[in-house]
Amino acid sequence: MLMPSVKPLGELENASEFIARHIGISEADETHMLSVIGEASRRALIDSIVPRSIARSAGMQLPPATTEAAALAELKAIAQKNKLYRNFIGQGYYGTHTPGVILRNILENPAWYTAYTPYQAEISQGRMEALVNFQTMVTDLTGMAIANASMLDEATAAAEAMTLAKRSVKAKGNTIVVGGDCHPQTIEVIQTRAKPLGLTVKLANSAAEWAEALQGDDYFAVLAQYPSTSGRIDDLRADVQTVHAKQAAFIVAADLLALTLLVPPGEFDADIVVGTTQRFGMPMGAGGPHAAYMACRDEYKRSLPGRLVGVSVDAHGNPAYRLALQTREQHIRREKATSNICTAQVLPAVVASMYAVYHGPQGLKRIAQRVASYTAVLARGLQQLGWTLTSDSAFDTLTVKAGDQATAIMAKALSKGANLRLSWGEYVSMSLDETTTREDIALLWSVFAKDAQALQHLRKGRGAADPGRAATHQRLYDAPGVRQPPQRDRHAALHPQSVRQGPGAGPQHDSAGIVHHEAQRHQRDDPHHLAGIRGRAPLRPGRPAAGLQGTGRAAAGLVVPGHGLRRHQPAAQRWLSR
Amino acid sequence: MCQATGYAGISLQPNAGSQGEYAGLLAIQAFHASRGESHRNICLIPSSAHGTNPASAQMVGMTVVVTKCDDNGNVDMVDLKAKCEQHSANLAAVMITYPSTHGVFETTVKELCALVHQHGGRVYVDGANMNALVGVAAPGEFGGDVSHLNLHKTFCIPHGGGGPGVGPVCVVEDLVPFLPGHATGGVKSGVGAVSAAPLGNAAVLPISWMYIRMMGADGLKHATEAAILSANYISKRLADHYPTLYASANGHVAHECILDLRGFKETSGVMAEDVAKRLMDYGFHAPTLSFPVANTLMVEPTESETLEELDRFIDAMIAIRDEIRQIENGTWPQDDNPLKNAPHTAATVLSSAWQHPYSREVAAAAASNPVNTKYWPSVGRVDNVYGDRNLFCSCVPVSELAD
Repeated sequence: MLMPSVKPLGELENASEFIARHIGISEADETHMLSVIGEASRRALIDSIVPRSIARSAGMQLPPATTEAAALAELKAIAQKNKLYRNFIGQGYYGTHTPGVILRNILENPAWYTAYTPYQAEISQGRMEALVNFQTMVTDLTGMAIANASMLDEATAAAEAMTLAKRSVKAKGNTIVVGGDCHPQTIEVIQTRAKPLGLTVKLANSAAEWAEALQGDDYFAVLAQYPSTSGRIDDLRADVQTVHAKQAAFIVAADLLALTLLVPPGEFDADIVVGTTQRFGMPMGAGGPHAAYMACRDEYKRSLPGRLVGVSVDAHGNPAYRLALQTREQHIRREKATSNICTAQVLPAVVASMYAVYHGPQGLKRIAQRVASYTAVLARGLQQLGWTLTSDSAFDTLTVKAGDQATAIMAKALSKGANLRLSWGEYVSMSLDETTTREDIALLWSVFAKDAQALQHLRKGRGAADPGRAATHQRLYDAPGVRQPPQRDRHAALHPQSVRQGPGAGPQHDSAGIVHHEAQRHQRDDPHHLAGIRGRAPLRPGRPAAGLQGTGRAAAGLVVPGHGLRRHQPAAQRWLSR
Repeated sequence: MCQATGYAGISLQPNAGSQGEYAGLLAIQAFHASRGESHRNICLIPSSAHGTNPASAQMVGMTVVVTKCDDNGNVDMVDLKAKCEQHSANLAAVMITYPSTHGVFETTVKELCALVHQHGGRVYVDGANMNALVGVAAPGEFGGDVSHLNLHKTFCIPHGGGGPGVGPVCVVEDLVPFLPGHATGGVKSGVGAVSAAPLGNAAVLPISWMYIRMMGADGLKHATEAAILSANYISKRLADHYPTLYASANGHVAHECILDLRGFKETSGVMAEDVAKRLMDYGFHAPTLSFPVANTLMVEPTESETLEELDRFIDAMIAIRDEIRQIENGTWPQDDNPLKNAPHTAATVLSSAWQHPYSREVAAAAASNPVNTKYWPSVGRVDNVYGDRNLFCSCVPVSELAD
């Protein structure tokens, strides 16, 4: 037997181990520091600083400190109370795969996650490059002139869009018209924000109400969800014209993944576009954190809220990033500031931008096409089972008018480990995403199937390939041969290696580079790729937006008439008849 | 969080400090409205407050009335009293930061809270400086009615380069019914939702939970004391080189100190920004620049830095002070010296066309920075004005990359 320790067991167990890890000052250091300050003890120092009149009456009532291992075990025990179901709720939150390379090199890399807001530009170039990537991704996909470096969530971004519109438009009204088919949490936050500002929120709960509201003269802005929360894809072009005729602003809350297939709002002249980037690699996380985005037309850029990274030049005339237009912010303008937002969602924004880098434009589009195809397949099956869908257009979300069977369907879904979404007591919605599998489609069919036989029939895929009937999703988009989502060379735009530097030193710490190369390994000799990694980007001063506008117009020629949405049924048919 | 602040209720919904502030003011507003006093819309804010305070007050439709600070940077109680009396019937709230943004524990805070309460107003204590309070003093005990916390400042959520943060809002008993609701998420309240998700940035909350669980009450209090100790150590050791702008009567500061660099403009043309940039050559990201006072540096070391790191920072600041002296005595011209040209890139230091009146070794701070921690930036000093005049916020297009 070993010699028993002279130390008490409690000391060896060292429950307060973490305190010494967290606090940098050792006991010996403390003595030295106190002598420099001229105080006898830490207690004496604190007593000489904190006014006696406000000192705590008693200590905090908290459980005693425990070790990291024990605390983690407790945390896991709590987490295990969660029931993990397949989520088809949608409503702005979708399943996504965080690429391992992003998880390891960004989300779990302290060089990225511990950094402060990049106030000192020269020491923060790598992070700001990632944020410029984010801004570029957003402007590319929305078709807008400018985007900021993230907002807190889609709902607050929509509320900020409302106040941006109020500041910017000529219309004198105090009303914002909000489509009732926006995400309910977005409507709620807009209502909260509007009230103290004396703004009225007019909810349009039907197409008729929407059309009527748009004819009014009392509004300064309208908000529509694209695609809507129930899954519909509206052609908003005529509405934008109507709203602009009233000198009001058109705000679109848009899904970035859908925008790889749909006509971007910037191309039908929307004024402000907001949304979440959650499905670009950030887990749902019970609601956050995720980066939202906000993009607007060029005329509004100087009152765009939030942090904005811009390209400038350094003392040697080379391009360099820094936070732009800081004078808009509250630390300068105080009560006249455009917003109170300071800290945003930089780390999730970096993840989203790297997700786009990782997949590249073709990869993003493939994911979107897969989601749309699964949705079409799911829709076809639900119709064959005799259900009525509320819309003949969809990207990832379907809504079934389930009537008095809605509750039973929800219960059946839960019994099968699936979360669906119930609205207005009689509508059941479900959303698909990057993580959706064939098994998920079968699962959803089984929820809606009235008997096993019908389900079996569908799983064999027989009888589903009637082209005439499959045309219900005719507004879904058919990818081949149609406009590519990039409005310029996005392959390069999403991978600018102009200023190659991660937050650490040296190429081995260049996380952006690691992600980039992992994604691009198979095409390293591609000329565009090589152009992208050329040493340094010579910025052409004086015509900053030239590259954007020129290519934007060229791309516009590729937009198909009729909103750019095309027939989609072939993929669904192929799969069903397999 | 309630234990740390001394409040009765909390909402984790706000996903940043700004949203917590907004939710807190909404609670105050809803409280007044519930008592038939919707006319109370004046929000008193000391001139030293962070700009987010007035911006948030404006967002809830309150009218901001700015109160003065005295020469020591403290809230001018005479002016505050006068404004309270003037606006007594319409006083909604006062927003203070404690300890103050000037880094001082004001001795009159209890009196201030009582005064505002006397006039029917509620006291918002901005939690930005809770790092100096946890375990030591609680806003809910000394007169605060509402505070938001910044979990990314005080409870260990890493800053992420500018988020995610969490800005929970804590309130006293009678304001609990006015914490934010979330109908979509099933949270009932007289006040609406302030975030998309009912628990805001829920997925990072376990970080703060772990921190609290591993520190316990004693550890958290120790952390506060260590933060105060470190700030005072820096202030004291730099006193002969850079005076601390504001301190309490006995010369001590709270958990941060404002180093006054304003005198150098006259003697050498050096601005605080030049010192901030030069710090990169010594391997530091500069502390807060020009807040809350222009042309100063505000240092908040926190409890986590080791003595070695504190000394490294202090030694760098002293070495930079010596460099400023060489500008003051004319050795280097005001427009061509290691501070104005900072930060130095590898390309400039390696260039065979070196034409500055100081050596490359000085440029790289090689002699005065023996541990050789210089950060080699990929770019030199960035021109902010140029970028704002020629605003460009996307990746440089590939067509621009072609020669």
